[in-house]
Amino acid sequence: MAGIELAPAEIQVLQDLTILVFAPFVSGAVAHLEGRLQGRRGPRILQPYYDIAKLFHKETLVPEDASWVFLAGPVVAFACYLTVPLLIPVLTQYPLPLGYMGDILGGGFILSLAGFAVGLAALETGGAYAQLGSSRAMTFGALIEPSILFVTFTVALVTATDLPYFEAAAVRSSLGQAIDPAHLLAAVAFFLVVLNDTSRIPVETHASTLEFGMIDEARTLEHSGPAFALLKWGSAMKQLILYVILINVFAAPWGEAGSRQVGPVLLAIPAFIGKALGVGAIFAVIDSSFSKLRLFKITEFMAVAFLLAVLAVLVLFLGAR
Amino acid sequence: MAALGTSPTTLTDAADVLALLVLLSEFAMLRSSLSRSQVRLYAFQSLCVSVLAGFVAATRHIGELYGLMSMSFVLKVIVVPMIILRLVKEVRVDVTAGHRIGVATMVLLAIVLSIFGIFVVGRLPVHSRSLPILPLALAAAVILVSFLLVIVRNDVVSQAIGFFSLENGVSVASLVLAAGLPLIVELAFLFDLLVAVVVFALLMRVHHGRAGTLSTQALDRLRG
Amino acid sequence: MGAVLIAILVLPLAASVVCLKAPMPTAKAVSLTSGVATFGLALTLVSSHQVATALSGWLRADALSVVFLLAVSFLYGATTVFAVGYLRPGEGPAEARYSRRFFAGLNLFAWAMAMAPIVNGLALLWVAIEVTTVVSALLVAIGDTDGAVEAAWKYVLIASMGLGIALLATVFMYYAGSTVLGGSYEIFYPKLLGAAPYLPPEIVRLSFGLAVLGFGTKMGLVPVHTWLPDAHSEAPTPVSALLSGALLTVSFYAILRFYQVTERAIGPAFPRDVLLVFGLASLVLAALYLASQRDLKRLLAYSSIEHMGILAIGMSFSAPIAIVGVLLHVLAHAAAKSTAFFGAGSLIRKFGTKDMDRIRGGIGALPWSGPMFLLAVLALSAMPPFGIFRSEFLIVEGGLSSGATALSAVLIVLVTCAFLGLSWFASQTMLTPTPESVVRGEVSVWMAGSMVIGLVALVVLGLHPPAQLCGLLERAAAELGART
Repeated sequence: MAGIELAPAEIQVLQDLTILVFAPFVSGAVAHLEGRLQGRRGPRILQPYYDIAKLFHKETLVPEDASWVFLAGPVVAFACYLTVPLLIPVLTQYPLPLGYMGDILGGGFILSLAGFAVGLAALETGGAYAQLGSSRAMTFGALIEPSILFVTFTVALVTATDLPYFEAAAVRSSLGQAIDPAHLLAAVAFFLVVLNDTSRIPVETHASTLEFGMIDEARTLEHSGPAFALLKWGSAMKQLILYVILINVFAAPWGEAGSRQVGPVLLAIPAFIGKALGVGAIFAVIDSSFSKLRLFKITEFMAVAFLLAVLAVLVLFLGAR
Repeated sequence: MAALGTSPTTLTDAADVLALLVLLSEFAMLRSSLSRSQVRLYAFQSLCVSVLAGFVAATRHIGELYGLMSMSFVLKVIVVPMIILRLVKEVRVDVTAGHRIGVATMVLLAIVLSIFGIFVVGRLPVHSRSLPILPLALAAAVILVSFLLVIVRNDVVSQAIGFFSLENGVSVASLVLAAGLPLIVELAFLFDLLVAVVVFALLMRVHHGRAGTLSTQALDRLRG
Repeated sequence: MGAVLIAILVLPLAASVVCLKAPMPTAKAVSLTSGVATFGLALTLVSSHQVATALSGWLRADALSVVFLLAVSFLYGATTVFAVGYLRPGEGPAEARYSRRFFAGLNLFAWAMAMAPIVNGLALLWVAIEVTTVVSALLVAIGDTDGAVEAAWKYVLIASMGLGIALLATVFMYYAGSTVLGGSYEIFYPKLLGAAPYLPPEIVRLSFGLAVLGFGTKMGLVPVHTWLPDAHSEAPTPVSALLSGALLTVSFYAILRFYQVTERAIGPAFPRDVLLVFGLASLVLAALYLASQRDLKRLLAYSSIEHMGILAIGMSFSAPIAIVGVLLHVLAHAAAKSTAFFGAGSLIRKFGTKDMDRIRGGIGALPWSGPMFLLAVLALSAMPPFGIFRSEFLIVEGGLSSGATALSAVLIVLVTCAFLGLSWFASQTMLTPTPESVVRGEVSVWMAGSMVIGLVALVVLGLHPPAQLCGLLERAAAELGART
């Protein structure tokens, strides 16, 4: 294929579609791998698709005292999760037109907005467990914020902007950059943040519903039908988005398309899915190797993430003098 | 991201990472609640320091430092942990006696102290020939956090490990600042450390013999 | 001259090795000989105007070194005299083991303290002081009581952490020197002092501050003095005397060496301010705490902190006569504090307790040691005709002539407070009628005799210090930058 070039707008839509379509796949693959690691047969890799499809056919039940917020929450969250892929490097090395709409902080805000919407919807239900999960999620979200901020500062100190594209470019520039201590620290700190935000061990067991330890899972207990389908889909997308940021900004920003030609762009899709599966495998291994932390020990976990992020900034600060 | 005075190479970055590992193991020591794991963390920290010494030896072509590196490896990574581990095994105490302030507060305090140490060193007009200035800043942080470790933890093993990690921090600082220190002096420092370890171990055993525990909470008879 | 240094290097070490295996009477004799001989050797160095070196420069004794060597060796000699009487002869294996450990440790401790003033260079100085810490910690714990173990653990931990900081200071100073002298050089004093004016000022400032903090831990400066009262009160009396009289002074010597370099590099203003702050804090705290003591040896320990504060404040006055006073005070304090501790040892042995509430009528119970102890306490409070009066007078005179009148006034007030505290306790324990249950008579001739030595030295220093000694003091003060 000679140079058929895609228009930037088309690539942008393609990015969004990729995340939308492949998120449940990644989720299912990770769950399957985890099952295998634990000696079971594991669920089907395409199971999440079937789940979502089934849910769209079911009826919606709404608690008596809930208002329109209850149904709006999942929709708002889903919309946010559709917006964020426009801002981050998924398929391409170069920034796309809407990529300047928001930087890392902006992306973080939108993700928080999604979480906020879901949390509000949970509060609406008046159910004990939902409110419990909601309050816990808000608290731990607030506690992990400083780490995210400091990681952002690291990126900003490196590139003098905090557009994720430029950080990725900096990492690609030389091998020495990859083992730069500040970069490593920031990457590990962000890895811990992702562990927290995708509700994985050691923060929460996503595979079961232990009420005493539930944080994120508890918020979605009362939903049903299409709204629930949107929630599940949305959380799978959130997971993939966080993987994308981890991979394409910090850890392994290779394999993306350098031009607008069709070939490289389409090749970028399996490349990035493959990398996401790799990260997912790491998470599956962690899931099977460690146990969940007691609830009030999670603050220690966050202290560690914060420590690493602060050290990253300090190391950079000292190196740049 | 170059340190002042040296061009950024993979080697200096690796040295920076080693110094970082020293600081991170210090934090881990602060947090850990098992005596055995504290000692193992100390062994790991000493390993990083020895490798760092090897780095300096390689880049500055100081042959004496290889000898120093192997001596400090044998002493601090093998002998000292062995002595302390044997004591802990004899005493059969596994979990340390606890701390005066909560873990999260401790970590936050440690972060504040590290920031202070790193900033102070950052302001000094130091140009080292052997390593970038970052390991010196991290060494200052290690020294301050080791003080915190000694103050906050309530048992003799933690306090002893705190002192030993202070020596590790000073070793890193001396690698940055005084890599050319005559070998005789460096050996004297090392053997001094060994003797200090023996004395510490002895006193720990005596303390345990009298008090029946490794905790220092009973050590408050003498006041005023 | 060099031979003297080598003899001092070898003699106490050999004595220590011998005492490892010797039975008690032999150990006592060997230690006594070694102590007296070391003091004699040190005396021979007083009148020489040249710097003695040995071992191709690794040992070096200039006037400053000789002053401190005198103090250490005097204490070594007097303590061995006292120790002959202190350790009661016993037949059991426990006593024999205690005696072996005690004398081996005592000689080794004295050896390390004698080494510190005569080794050349800041690095070896640190090594010597570290050895003293380690050995003295074992000596403090030798009594194996609850209190002794607690005191030993606190001591070794705090002192070692402080010495870690001092090591950092040495490393920084080495780095400062390396900017002028090249990457690798022997850190001998003459070389460093020669390069001093070219050293980078901030590094030297940092190094001095860290050195005062680190070595000040071993010297007993507030606020890093917390190990001192415990260690000095729980150790056996001869060890307490050595700790108070010699070890604190040797740590002060280390600070003075850093002062010497710093003063030549950045001028005396900064080091004087630092020493003033620490000295004032020590003096204030000690004077206040003195009044509330119950333990006899703890009282004397706080008095040591007070005197270390006076030394630091004396160094902060800019008149040369104050520095001469400081050096004389080092000698006089060594003599006075050792005598006081020896007397306390006799009292404790006689009355069986350290608690001053239970000691009454010392003068009656101990016809010789009692009055001598009283004299020693008065000497510590700067009573004429003893040496401390002369030295403190010189310090105050230096303060007044350098314009620090307010500080000198504060110094006098605080010293008076300390005097009040000390004399209150002295009169309570000494000048009251002796209870019937106490047997009158000296505990040991040796223990009383050692006090005589100290008092004689004090009187000599106070009334008429020999001309050679005065010359030595002035030469040492000149080395510290005093331009008379």
